[in-house]
Amino acid sequence: MAKTILCHCEDIEIDELYSALEQGYGDLETLKRYTGIGTGKCQGKCCIVQTLRLLASLQTSHTRESMMGDPDLIHLPTIRPPVLPMRIDDIADMEEDTP
Amino acid sequence: MTKTADIVVIGGGVNGLSCAYNLAKRGVKNIVVLEKGYIGVGSTGRCGAGVRQQWGLEENIILARESVKIFENLSGELGFNTFFRQGGYLILITDEHEHEIVAGTLPLQNRLGVPTRLLDTKEIAELVPGLNLDGVIAAAFCPTDGFCYPYAVLWGYAEAARRRGVTIEVNTEVINVEARADGTYTVSTGTTAYQTPVVVNMAGAKTKDIAAYLGITIPTQPFRHEIAVTEPLKPFLDPMVISLKKGFYFSQSIRGEIVGGIGDEHEPSSYQTGSSPEFLLRYAKAIRDTFPALGKARIIRQWAGLYDVSPDARPILGGVDGKPGYFHACGFSGHGFMLSPVVARLMSELITTGCTSIPIDGLNLARFDGGPVTKDPYVVG
Ligand SMILES: Cc1cc2nc3c(=O)[nH]c(=O)nc-3n(C[C@H](O)[C@H](O)[C@H](O)COP(=O)(O)OP(=O)(O)OC[C@H]3O[C@@H](n4cnc5c(N)ncnc54)[C@H](O)[C@@H]3O)c2cc1C
Repeated sequence: MAKTILCHCEDIEIDELYSALEQGYGDLETLKRYTGIGTGKCQGKCCIVQTLRLLASLQTSHTRESMMGDPDLIHLPTIRPPVLPMRIDDIADMEEDTP
Repeated sequence: MTKTADIVVIGGGVNGLSCAYNLAKRGVKNIVVLEKGYIGVGSTGRCGAGVRQQWGLEENIILARESVKIFENLSGELGFNTFFRQGGYLILITDEHEHEIVAGTLPLQNRLGVPTRLLDTKEIAELVPGLNLDGVIAAAFCPTDGFCYPYAVLWGYAEAARRRGVTIEVNTEVINVEARADGTYTVSTGTTAYQTPVVVNMAGAKTKDIAAYLGITIPTQPFRHEIAVTEPLKPFLDPMVISLKKGFYFSQSIRGEIVGGIGDEHEPSSYQTGSSPEFLLRYAKAIRDTFPALGKARIIRQWAGLYDVSPDARPILGGVDGKPGYFHACGFSGHGFMLSPVVARLMSELITTGCTSIPIDGLNLARFDGGPVTKDPYVVG
């Protein structure tokens, strides 16, 4: 069967998302940490919106109710710096007092 | 809506969930855990999940040692891989004063069964090739220290607690707790009032706010601590490397990322958990100084969480005189993950039997009423 990759950085297939949902890991914050989606080099720029789209289209019966909560809980996770991966050397060489 | 419970646990962090699990294991039936967000949204989900037994005070060493024993079998017990890896903690020593403190406590640690030993620079270089040893005079190394993946521990406890009948309500914030005339409590969320004889307050840095509903004053303060992670690298680093003096720590996760942080003595007390570029700069300098080759590694993400700091940097555990059925565990001061297995065991003993197999009287809230308290010299950041 063809595989559908959801998160390219971490090589996560769509089936892994479904399996996590079936085990009750239903909200995005938890899915991110359970499957690894969005935690790779691009930090979710490619996969998080796809994951959200899938979550929004799925029947809530897929998930344990207590984890799913209400649809308002489907939101983007906090975007953490740095925006792009940065070398420790490059950071350490930055000037302390740049505004 | 009104519901009843035998025990209401407030907080779905590692302490609340492990306590609920231990209570269920001891036969308590109707346990409800109330968590305002998702599991792990508090400090636990943001922490380094390091587990060490190298402490200066006897009580701290014993608690940490007992926790490690539980961590060693926790994956099997919970039926969930916690990714506990015992690569040891390597405490770098950079001056004579620090040497005196660390070397001075080794006999105590060893007597209590914690196998810490002092390494000279040659042994350090063998253990962690690539460390910059300029200015390092020795290191303390305990091979049975280690770390976990914090979410795995949380989910493991949550699953095991649910299997034993515990109800875990997420996205459910406690907005009031009231003592009733009959000696029980009402714990209110927006939609439900739980009537219960026992309230277990383990709301992390918010524990003191919950306690305040009952007129209990807890002298803890929240402080932001920042942390960062690199892209995954080939496994090369076994121990967690830390400096008590410089306040940094870093280790390599099972996924290969370097996870670490550094404290900031100027950080004011607040509930803010935003990320700062100043931290990144300080951390990058400290890491490059300590392990120059890591300069080539790229940081992909930084975040922050709260330390709930008590006046002596030691946890506050137990009940409160005049409030039967009320219990709390807080003030972990940055060490609440490593202590959670033993804290859960002892708190569940206290709640169900009134006594504990390891004395924790010295950690009760009332200790702050009296004279000065003793701080452990092994506090980082
Ligand atoms: C950057 C960082 C690194 C750390 N590294 C380590 C380490 O290496 N080793 C170690 O041992 N410790 C470490 N710590 C400390 C550790 O994270 C904490 O001590 C520990 O996780 C505390 O667990 P807890 O369950 O008591 O609290 P929390 O995990 O904070 O859980 C409390 C829960 O209560 C919930 N809550 C709060 N108010 C309410 C309310 N009104 N109603 C319902 N729920 C509520 C919160 O949402 C939260 O989920 C670190 C902390 C940080 C920030």
